[in-house]
Amino acid sequence: MHPHCSIVPPHLLAHLAAVDDPRHAVAARAARRALVQLDPLLAGREEAFAAPVPPRTAVGRPLERRISDAGGQEILPGTLVRGEGDAATGDAATDEAYDGLGATDALFRQVYGRASIDGAGLPLAATVHYGELYDNAFWDGERMVFGDGDGDVFGRFTRSLTVISHELTHGFTQYSTNLVYEGQSGALNESLSDVFGVLVEQHHLGQTVDQASWLVGEGVFTDQVQGRALRSLAAPGTAYDDDVLGRDPQPATMSDFVITTSDNGGVHINSGIPNHAFYLTALHLGGYAWERAGRIWFDAAVGGGIQANSGFRLFADVTQEAARARFGQNSEEHEAVRQAWAKVEVTG
Amino acid sequence: MRIEISRSGGFAGMTRTWSLEVSPAEAEERWLPLADRAAEAPQGEETRPERDQRDRYVYHIVIGYQEVTLPESRLDEPWKELIERARRGPTG
Repeated sequence: MHPHCSIVPPHLLAHLAAVDDPRHAVAARAARRALVQLDPLLAGREEAFAAPVPPRTAVGRPLERRISDAGGQEILPGTLVRGEGDAATGDAATDEAYDGLGATDALFRQVYGRASIDGAGLPLAATVHYGELYDNAFWDGERMVFGDGDGDVFGRFTRSLTVISHELTHGFTQYSTNLVYEGQSGALNESLSDVFGVLVEQHHLGQTVDQASWLVGEGVFTDQVQGRALRSLAAPGTAYDDDVLGRDPQPATMSDFVITTSDNGGVHINSGIPNHAFYLTALHLGGYAWERAGRIWFDAAVGGGIQANSGFRLFADVTQEAARARFGQNSEEHEAVRQAWAKVEVTG
Repeated sequence: MRIEISRSGGFAGMTRTWSLEVSPAEAEERWLPLADRAAEAPQGEETRPERDQRDRYVYHIVIGYQEVTLPESRLDEPWKELIERARRGPTG
């Protein structure tokens, strides 16, 4: 096949190439071959129509996932157990991580036209079964790492798609705004992970603003904990209320901003404020949140207006400007963003 | 001597607190010298998370007069042992 004769658009090829159903193995192989042969300039043009892609960005490289198993040790990366296109392993954490990375890549690639977290097709790496009864999931700068949970408070972290998409979005943020992980800029870093974390799930399930749970980490608590999830974008501060663990400490407005030295200055706490601003924007606009509200936040994140040390106020200004630039001055979208930031008391 | 450990951050952003009792001799020999060294380390070196690490835990450890803040990525073996002991024991 001559690359210029390809009738299938590159994003569809990438999608086909990522299919791991054995019934479509031939089509997937053909698509992967076509992608390799695809004229990079042509591919670049296709992507440029779909979204604002930063200059000098290589596009068209298909999704590539690598799931490793740490086998209960705290050593990274562990042993590679599932590569791109490999059949399911039967290990829940491995297969959930594999599928979750695919769902996250689908939102960024198909909706926003960004090839992987760096916009240049970086392979997506994850390690599962990290540590013994390890009760956390984190991003180490190169890969996502998932513990199995302590079985007491937390179960397996990969059970919630939003945990996987939250971690991978830390990678996206590292390659875009790289917000400093402390204080307000750190809370914005956390908020971007929660926002795109829930959008990945909504996109994957085809949910509208009204149908979505707006919860982060639903299903990671064991039955012994009184709580639905770790955070709620719709109602920060209400995700859990447990006799032993206490209450969800997230504020929804600046009046309740928490000043603390723990948690790198409350990065997982004050993220409730920008989280709620995003939710209010999406609620105002209705429909699928990733289409307009998500697009505005994505444009803001890659547009260059956010500085590494940005606080809430600058972020609010940049999202309003992104809404104006894409949808027009005083458009419904511009108005939705303006009202949302005023309601959470970041702007007057 | 009572040692208090509070862990904040992590994906969940949930603060947990544990404590344990050690003999004054053990505190003097093992934990206070370690805490002194960590407390004297220049800011930005020991207390901050390693670059690009996200959602990791931050430990705040109080031993008598001394208190130190340590990111999870910089916890070496003796600290891990102390935290393990505190977590296994009754919560304070």
